[in-house]
Amino acid sequence: MTVVEQTGAPKTTPPGRPRRRPSPLGSKWTPYLFLAPAALFILVFQAVPLVQEVYLSFTRTRLLNPTRSEWVGLDNFNRIFGDPEFHRTLLITIIYVITCVVVAIGAGLVVALLLNRKFRGRGVARALVTVPWAAPGIAVALIATWMLNAQYGIVNRFLDAVGLGVPGGAILDSSRYALPAVLATTIWQLFPFTSVVLLSALQSVPQELNEAATVDGAGRWATFRAVTWQVIKPTVGLLALLMTIWSLRRFELIWLMTKGGPVGATETLVIDLYSQAFDSKELGSAAAIGMVGVVISLIVIIGSRLVARAVEKGDVR
Amino acid sequence: MRRFRFGVTARIVAVLVVLGVAVFPLYWMFVTALSSNSDLFADKPRLTPDLGQFGVFVDALAEGKAAGWLLNSLIIAVGTMVLSVGLGIPLGYALSRFSFWGKAVLTVVLLFTQMLPEALMVVPLFALFRRFELLDSLTGLILVNSAFVLPIVALILKGAIDGIPKELEEAARADGARPFTTLTRINVPLIAPSIAATAVIAFFHAWNEYVFAVTFIFNPDLQPASVGIANFIGELGTPIQTVMAVAFLFTLPAVAFYLLVQKYVVSGMTAGAVKG
Repeated sequence: MTVVEQTGAPKTTPPGRPRRRPSPLGSKWTPYLFLAPAALFILVFQAVPLVQEVYLSFTRTRLLNPTRSEWVGLDNFNRIFGDPEFHRTLLITIIYVITCVVVAIGAGLVVALLLNRKFRGRGVARALVTVPWAAPGIAVALIATWMLNAQYGIVNRFLDAVGLGVPGGAILDSSRYALPAVLATTIWQLFPFTSVVLLSALQSVPQELNEAATVDGAGRWATFRAVTWQVIKPTVGLLALLMTIWSLRRFELIWLMTKGGPVGATETLVIDLYSQAFDSKELGSAAAIGMVGVVISLIVIIGSRLVARAVEKGDVR
Repeated sequence: MRRFRFGVTARIVAVLVVLGVAVFPLYWMFVTALSSNSDLFADKPRLTPDLGQFGVFVDALAEGKAAGWLLNSLIIAVGTMVLSVGLGIPLGYALSRFSFWGKAVLTVVLLFTQMLPEALMVVPLFALFRRFELLDSLTGLILVNSAFVLPIVALILKGAIDGIPKELEEAARADGARPFTTLTRINVPLIAPSIAATAVIAFFHAWNEYVFAVTFIFNPDLQPASVGIANFIGELGTPIQTVMAVAFLFTLPAVAFYLLVQKYVVSGMTAGAVKG
């Protein structure tokens, strides 16, 4: 009896204590071990450079002599906001972003509704439509430039053939047509993403509700508004946010197609920032322009959060 | 009934138009590569590829620097993929499974980095690269590309790990497995599709990257294809067929891989963006 009790005793563990001790670093430090390498990386390559960039925006610094940096306070900001060319840049940025958001989402929705129907070869069609999104920006800029070539470009030849030709054909050299051409190329690259995302959102639209609405005599548009739109609304909001931020950042397509020209007709904030830094070699102004872009993004993000919250509460419909 | 028929035809036409718009520029890249000079500059351009010109692909790789460019791109892309996914898995795990001091700040920082334009970061990163002697090195590009793609990789993987029931890990933990072991033995196999998707995203982020490559690399032998191809634009010296052949070889793997894993990439990207 006593022997049995003695051997049995060590097997019982006090309540609340794990059967085995975790490793010495088991509890408090574990998460930090997992995230430290990545966090260090982001600190070195993103956080520190960003802080330096903020500092630069308050200085006069030349690219060729960056160690001689002079603190000038808000001078850079005063200068760019007083400059009519910067006002134009802001306006073009806004036009560029809004057009990208509206058209990319609109076109994406039309394509998604189209590809949501059942038909043979739908899988192939869905795959093919994503091609532009998968194509590298460099290659897109190259082929677009070639297609828009004044003499031999297929676009001009087609426009000439249907009698809509641009005089001289130099679309990218025309201050009137360059921005639409760059926008069309950007949207060509963006709409597959919006359509694929919207397509997956459409899949969660309950078919019974659609049918019920149709039986009730609702027209197509009414059914769309009452059923489909309600389901995909959050996705549209998310896409609008993503498209805004992506088009605010977008650089290589515009840079390689027009370098912001002709005479600034396609100069968005990012293009302006890059040419201030590397053509005019004014790092301070470049940083200040960049800060304007970052602030716009922040306003958009915070604003969209507030709108989303208001919609959830039911204040706005 | 008649109206219905018309609707079907209209729909088929609409689908074909959409697909035409989506695919034509890439097709045109291919056609241009495979055109003779006389076709290219004729009054009426030839709309189909001249398969007799196929040698242009071989020539483009054999003669010019294109093979070297593509190899550099491959090195940068593979390096970025390995590094960012390698760091992103533990980061995503930490964000999903643990609560720790600074978690909210870290999440905000990850989201914030998504809106920073590369062009803005070029200048301070240039100074950093000069100090650490990373200019003119593929390693430098791997490091900076990894840092830029890491947040989206981590957020996508966090979303994937969120979807795994905690009980699976708790059972393993009760058997005495350490956190790292439960991550590699239990979570990693279950989120394999998401890992594949993030690997593709990271690979092509680096494959396509231009701004850092053009600013940080001076040695022509170290140029990746994105810079090499961009230099073609507006340059008259190289035959357009060669230019398009190289660009096509640069584009094809990106498109092919995306088509293979697009399902996971899209759901991953939206999940990463939604859940943040």
